[in-house]
Amino acid sequence: MPVHQDDRRRRFELLALPHLDAAYNLARWLAGNTADAEDVVQEAYLRAYRYFDAFHDGNIRVWLLTIVRNCFVTWAKENRSSRLSFVAETPVAEAAGVEEILWGTAPRDPEALLLDRIDSETLSALMQRLPADYREILLLREVEDLSYKEIATVTGAAIGTVMSRLSRARDALRKLWMQQAAKETADGV
Amino acid sequence: MACDHAGLLPLLADGELGAARRWLLSRHVARCAACAAAMEELQSMRTALRTRLVQHRAPPELAARIGAALAHEPVPEPVRPARQSSVRFASLGFAGSGLAGALAGVALTLLVLRPPAGGGMESAVIGSHVRSLMAQHLTDVATSDQHTVKPWLSARLDVSPPVRELADQGFPLVGGRLDYIDGHPAAAVVYRHAQHVINLFAWASPGQPDAPIRTETRQGFNLVTWRTDGITFWAVSDLEADQLGRFARLVHGG
Repeated sequence: MPVHQDDRRRRFELLALPHLDAAYNLARWLAGNTADAEDVVQEAYLRAYRYFDAFHDGNIRVWLLTIVRNCFVTWAKENRSSRLSFVAETPVAEAAGVEEILWGTAPRDPEALLLDRIDSETLSALMQRLPADYREILLLREVEDLSYKEIATVTGAAIGTVMSRLSRARDALRKLWMQQAAKETADGV
Repeated sequence: MACDHAGLLPLLADGELGAARRWLLSRHVARCAACAAAMEELQSMRTALRTRLVQHRAPPELAARIGAALAHEPVPEPVRPARQSSVRFASLGFAGSGLAGALAGVALTLLVLRPPAGGGMESAVIGSHVRSLMAQHLTDVATSDQHTVKPWLSARLDVSPPVRELADQGFPLVGGRLDYIDGHPAAAVVYRHAQHVINLFAWASPGQPDAPIRTETRQGFNLVTWRTDGITFWAVSDLEADQLGRFARLVHGG
């Protein structure tokens, strides 16, 4: 019996621990601080371990990220965290100042959009200003490189929702960045 | 002005189009300035997010905490016993970097090494390194202050290993630990390099001659050993061999 348990645990560790950084990164961006992110990830890994037998095939990273995401939502509800500002499909962002940015009519000027010039600190600050589900979808798509289908699995949303949300998230980040760039120009930076 | 095809560009950028549509749209983008600019914009946002966005790495304590918690988890009734006995090692090909990757290596080692293959000091040292990462026992005294670690170890061992401050060289001190290797009580001084943990073991070898730095690779770990002033040193890590060699020379020569 203990042999079986050890084998099971090793198998789990072998498959799941390589994705700890990805799990933590998602939790950290969602929760906003180290301590809560660690709690969320630990809970997620324990939960994953308990249900490990239910994981058959497929992408374990996607499976783990799904659990991390669910654990975060549970945690945020229990703690009534303001981090849970998922805007759902209502296009109104709760985060202060984001609303008019999302729907503002900033002229689309690719020249001004050299995001590759943005520095790490500014980019991270802009991401923090986005609503949680925009932040999340940008992470899953651009950083974790998940497909639309995988994102749908992790977030429990339909593919169509994934596409529209991703599009809005990109617009929102783009507008925040343009606003930032305009501000820097005005400040003579 | 936005082109009629603009709506499909995210799908193209995200690799969500079938081969035929991808080819057609790519051909269009090559001729349409507006679409080319929009594609570039999508790409530059992606590049920025991938390369500039802060990537939070799981702290080493978290892996240890999870490892410890898992050990206390009751095991559910097996649903499909032994079906997955052949673990898919292929999935380790892109094992995450950092400590998570190190721990995967650890788990892999434990699997592969049971029963322990290859005797000798190397296996003992690696075994101790592995245990230090798996159990919640990387350090007994966790501090980056060399003036705390050294007396702590000296008070408990018949050896007073040099504990150097190497943070400026990229090897911050994590702490110290008592260990027991191949019959020796040993000091373990723990350093880090990026997300890699380095265990530097030291034990007394009175009367034995000095030995120069020797490097080897075993079971996916790199090891460096030498002996100075009657103290035997072993450094072990999943860090690259040349980096670990640099570390060893810093400790040895510093």
